[in-house]
Amino acid sequence: MAEPYLKVEKLVKRFGPFTALGGVDLEVYPGEVHALLGDNGAGKSTLIKTLAGVHQPTEGNILIEGKPVNFRSPRDASDAGIGTVYQDLALNQLMSVTRNFFMGRELKGPLGTLRMDEMNQIAHDEMLKIGIDFSDPTQAVGTMSGGQRQTLAIARAIHFGAKVLILDEPTSALGQKQQMGVLKTIKRVRARGDIAIIFITHNEIHSRLVGDRFTFLALGKVIGAGKAAEIGDEEMRRLMSGGAEMGDLEQELAAI
Amino acid sequence: MANQNEADRLQQETAFQKLIRRPEIGSFVVMIIIIVALAIASEGKSFNALGLKNNIAIIAQYGIIATGAAVLMISGEFDLSIGSMIGFAGMSMAMMLKWGLPFGLGEATPFTAFIITLAMTLALGWVIGTVVVRSGLSSFIVTLAFLFFLRGVTEVSFRLINKSTQISGLPDYKETSWFADILGGDVFGWFYDLWFMLGGNLNRRGEQWVEGFDARFLWWLVIAGIAYFILSRTQIGNWIYATGDNKEAARANGVPVNRVKIGLFMFTAFCATMFAACQVFDTNTSDAAKGNLMELFAIAIAVVGGTLMTGGFGSVIGVVFGAITVGLVANAVFFIPAIDGAWFRVFLGGILLAAVFANERIRKRITGGI
Repeated sequence: MAEPYLKVEKLVKRFGPFTALGGVDLEVYPGEVHALLGDNGAGKSTLIKTLAGVHQPTEGNILIEGKPVNFRSPRDASDAGIGTVYQDLALNQLMSVTRNFFMGRELKGPLGTLRMDEMNQIAHDEMLKIGIDFSDPTQAVGTMSGGQRQTLAIARAIHFGAKVLILDEPTSALGQKQQMGVLKTIKRVRARGDIAIIFITHNEIHSRLVGDRFTFLALGKVIGAGKAAEIGDEEMRRLMSGGAEMGDLEQELAAI
Repeated sequence: MANQNEADRLQQETAFQKLIRRPEIGSFVVMIIIIVALAIASEGKSFNALGLKNNIAIIAQYGIIATGAAVLMISGEFDLSIGSMIGFAGMSMAMMLKWGLPFGLGEATPFTAFIITLAMTLALGWVIGTVVVRSGLSSFIVTLAFLFFLRGVTEVSFRLINKSTQISGLPDYKETSWFADILGGDVFGWFYDLWFMLGGNLNRRGEQWVEGFDARFLWWLVIAGIAYFILSRTQIGNWIYATGDNKEAARANGVPVNRVKIGLFMFTAFCATMFAACQVFDTNTSDAAKGNLMELFAIAIAVVGGTLMTGGFGSVIGVVFGAITVGLVANAVFFIPAIDGAWFRVFLGGILLAAVFANERIRKRITGGI
């Protein structure tokens, strides 16, 4: 069994009296898609924000390649190879694809001048690698579709050294066809073999299509986890609804 | 159909289509119309040797502060204290030249008066920027406070030290100091020499009429040139656009958003100081009302030049066109005595409104109609 790149042990996060995460375990392997599922308020966002260095854990450990790490800022996390692609994607609409790609990490020549041709080329090539051939990287991000923006944000995270790619609901707020485009992108990143992907979603079908491993969260705890083959569809549906039996729900609905 | 991807839906454009979609095109067309209309209405007087010099003088004044205002607006902030900063800087320089350096440091030279003033205005710019980014308050309200504060300080200082709100009759430092000369003297004399040699630029006695442009023309070109270079070609430029477009996205990617903004408030203070220095060393006078309303002209010109009020987008070239347009119209009354000078403000109001609508259309086009 390969070593997990990222391991989370008994992670607890409390905000005052409120326990957002009550001892979460998670293992993420390179070349795998780890689908993180759960209802609203299950603690998915708190978990990824802790991994991304936005929050500090109250208890428990985060280990990278077996070594415990302590992220005090998002910078620390990204230096350790954790690339987070948030739902808002952290893109600037009025700026070009290239300028967004290198935002904050521009390639500089003498006098702080931008090496624009080189940057255009890299932005184009990196996006091509994961699936879109964007002929003109000088066009504004505002002209791109939602799926293309996802690809840009993912390509950017990979180019700047992400070993763990955290995708925060990348398929929500997209049309059907674009959702499929994003799933293809995820598959292509997975095929590289060296990047671990944490895929956060609400969508059972999407997680089934690309997920190698699943973790289900409810009320801040892991209520189920396993490899794709080990979890049946019925079990999956039960876990996704926070552990409630579908049968119970049917009865409850019928009683109204 | 199968091998067609989404990127193909963006239409490939010809060079001409790209040209007419540039953000500067609106202000360029308006500028050309104004130049032609003014040349005809003034029977060429506005572009004879002296007319050109006088027009460029006011255009350069507007251009210097509008460049600062525009770059700051691109980063998403306003500075309403520009006009008061001009008054403050002019007061500070003239007062030191007349009454000596503060703390009994002796006589002031143009150079020391300028440097000490610049240190003060840059510090003020830093304070304004720091208050804005630390408090999270709108820069509109913070700089409005400094508009009143600095104008008040200027007047009070004049009355306390000088017993009068104006200083005139300073010696002509241009004659004795190279430093005063590069700020208040003449530049591009070769242009008028050449014009004279070619048989133009003659006064009534047939001698050479105008010697050169005001030095502020050169300073405007330098400031606008540097601003253009920084915005379009450097890392800092990318940070300025990123800060104004979506501050949080920029921050998430490691752009030092606060430092960018503070730096640009210092840049507008620098532009205001250059405006004041050129004025003081050109005329050897100063008074408490100098620079009044200039902050609003600067913002109006930035908008006419295609800068978005919401930040993230704008062009220094557009602002150059805007400064030329507004400067020419402001001066038009001197060449066409029949018109009432107040029409200038009517024109400025109209063109400002039109520019806001045009800019909004540009923004929508870039962001795909959102």
